[in-house]
Amino acid sequence: MRFRLSDRQVGVLFMLPLILAVGIFLVWPIAEAVRLSFVRYNPLRPDDQPFVGLDNYLFVLEDPLFWESFWQAIVWTGWSTVLQAVIGVGLALLLHQPLKGMNAFRGLLLFPYIVPTVVIALNWRWLFNSEIGIVNHLLLSVGLIDEKIAWLSTPSMAMASAIMLNVWKYTPFVVIVVLARLQTIPTELYDAAKVDGAGVLRRFRDITLPQLAEVLAVVIVFRTIWTFNKFEEIYLLTRGGPGTSTYNLALYAFDQSIANLRMGVGAAAGVIMLVLLLAGSMLYIRVSGFGREDKAA
Amino acid sequence: MTDLVVQGLSKSFGSNQVLKALDLTVPSRQFVTLLGPSGCGKTTLLRMIAGLEKATAGEIRFGDRRVDMLPPGERNIAMVFQSYALYPTMDVARNIGYGLEVRGTPKPERTEKIGAVAKVLEIAHLLLRKPKQLSGGQRQRVALGRAMARRPDIFLMDEPLSNLDAKLRATMRGELRRFHLDLGTTTVYVTHDQLEAMTMSDLVVVMNEGVVQQIGTPEEVYGKPANLFVAGFIGTPPMNLIPAKVVDGVVTVAGAPLPVPLPPGAPAELILGVRPQDVTMAAPGDAGAVPGKVWMVELIGSERLIEVEIAPKLRVTAEVRASHRAAMDDLVAIRPDPAHIHLFDPATGLAIRA
Repeated sequence: MRFRLSDRQVGVLFMLPLILAVGIFLVWPIAEAVRLSFVRYNPLRPDDQPFVGLDNYLFVLEDPLFWESFWQAIVWTGWSTVLQAVIGVGLALLLHQPLKGMNAFRGLLLFPYIVPTVVIALNWRWLFNSEIGIVNHLLLSVGLIDEKIAWLSTPSMAMASAIMLNVWKYTPFVVIVVLARLQTIPTELYDAAKVDGAGVLRRFRDITLPQLAEVLAVVIVFRTIWTFNKFEEIYLLTRGGPGTSTYNLALYAFDQSIANLRMGVGAAAGVIMLVLLLAGSMLYIRVSGFGREDKAA
Repeated sequence: MTDLVVQGLSKSFGSNQVLKALDLTVPSRQFVTLLGPSGCGKTTLLRMIAGLEKATAGEIRFGDRRVDMLPPGERNIAMVFQSYALYPTMDVARNIGYGLEVRGTPKPERTEKIGAVAKVLEIAHLLLRKPKQLSGGQRQRVALGRAMARRPDIFLMDEPLSNLDAKLRATMRGELRRFHLDLGTTTVYVTHDQLEAMTMSDLVVVMNEGVVQQIGTPEEVYGKPANLFVAGFIGTPPMNLIPAKVVDGVVTVAGAPLPVPLPPGAPAELILGVRPQDVTMAAPGDAGAVPGKVWMVELIGSERLIEVEIAPKLRVTAEVRASHRAAMDDLVAIRPDPAHIHLFDPATGLAIRA
């Protein structure tokens, strides 16, 4: 007897690998996080997982450290994203110039993006070391500062240093995306604007920027989500310190789950982050009008 | 009322010289076409007049104003681009008024001018649309509108019809000519399409390899080509260019004597040019005709093209009425009309005139 599959069954078979992968690596972990956020779970006592209702959420929302981490996450994400967008667009405009050897610079630009975060963080710790770091040495020798700055051990400077590292590492992502978009803008548009009498700034404002709007919306959403969730850079550079001055929500969730052995509380913090980011992204995409142009046409 | 004068204009991209010390005068209010094959430098010349390319040497003047040092925005020109180059994020009204906006024209005046232009071009109902929502012909009109709104001294057009389908192109040719006659603005128009050049221009500038080959009215470049390039480039199907010899003071082609008046001082070897329309069919052995064998017959509608091989690898095309029948390999003869024969010097390529 020959075994025959219907088209529908073949279709399902083709989709099966993806369904399995998404199920195992995406749906199940999220579902598990949501479940954990409603139980008390100490990893040393995996047999004992009593349902505690909203207790974990209440704990989180009443914890001053959560709120400190939340506001610091906003500062960290906001500054990182804005600086990346501004510097990224600026660099992309420079790299878009048709000059000899520009390809070498475009290639070099990828460097920060390729190097592992651990390597970068350790290097930055050396660079920012207040006693033997090259940053202080340079600033002192140029005369910009009179005494050594404790970059990573004063609260405001530690946050600024962490933001600088994030900006340095992820600006290339913005540059690549923006540069790709710039290269698709027809040069005749700029010629037409020159004939119409528009100077450099007007051409940027009236032609370049409107054309970049869509791609910038996507870049900013992605960078916001990724930065808001970022854990390893801060952890490796400052471990949230000095004190708790560079804690963000990812660090807070990690601390609760792993250091304090309160998996349920950590999961609740994670679910709150998920909801915040979902709401934020949807709001931003709605406000920026992404995709509206195409639907109108 | 602005003449456009180009003097000794050269342009090189690296070691590639695309314009070679070019001189050109465009009288005011005229519609002048730069015509030539791809890569002849016509678009480069137009972009230099616009100020979008810098000259390597030479100067450009509008009237008595020298402009080649000025940026495009200060030359008071308007340009229509091949792709139209409409600003995709602005609506039609803002596209048309952008030049005025940049120059700080107050809004009420701007709106009035946009309205006037839109009315002339019959696009008033499209003012709030984005370029994406327009058809090819409508985009073309918006591009024209943008050029007209500022009342420029000179219009520059870079193959503005080449993105349209054949039927619309024929209509727009007429409209562009009409607009020019109404506005009376000096216009420089670039095309590689000789039909556009012939139908629209007051003057045609034929260019090749960065050099002006001939400047003249459409009648002149068609009827009196200055050299072999112009002779071969203008006219469809192209002019027959046949090597000829002068034997005892008589022009002979493939051994057959032809009654062609020979200017004094003509060289012993010539190139005889005759358009297919000026060649008639004859019987072999007729006087003043060159015998040969039919090589190819093509019907092109009301006419028929008959290609006759008069010597090995030497073929002459005749354009005759479609009612004239001929079969492959028929023995026939072709008779060039002596009144419409052009003679060229093969050494210099220049026309020999009496």
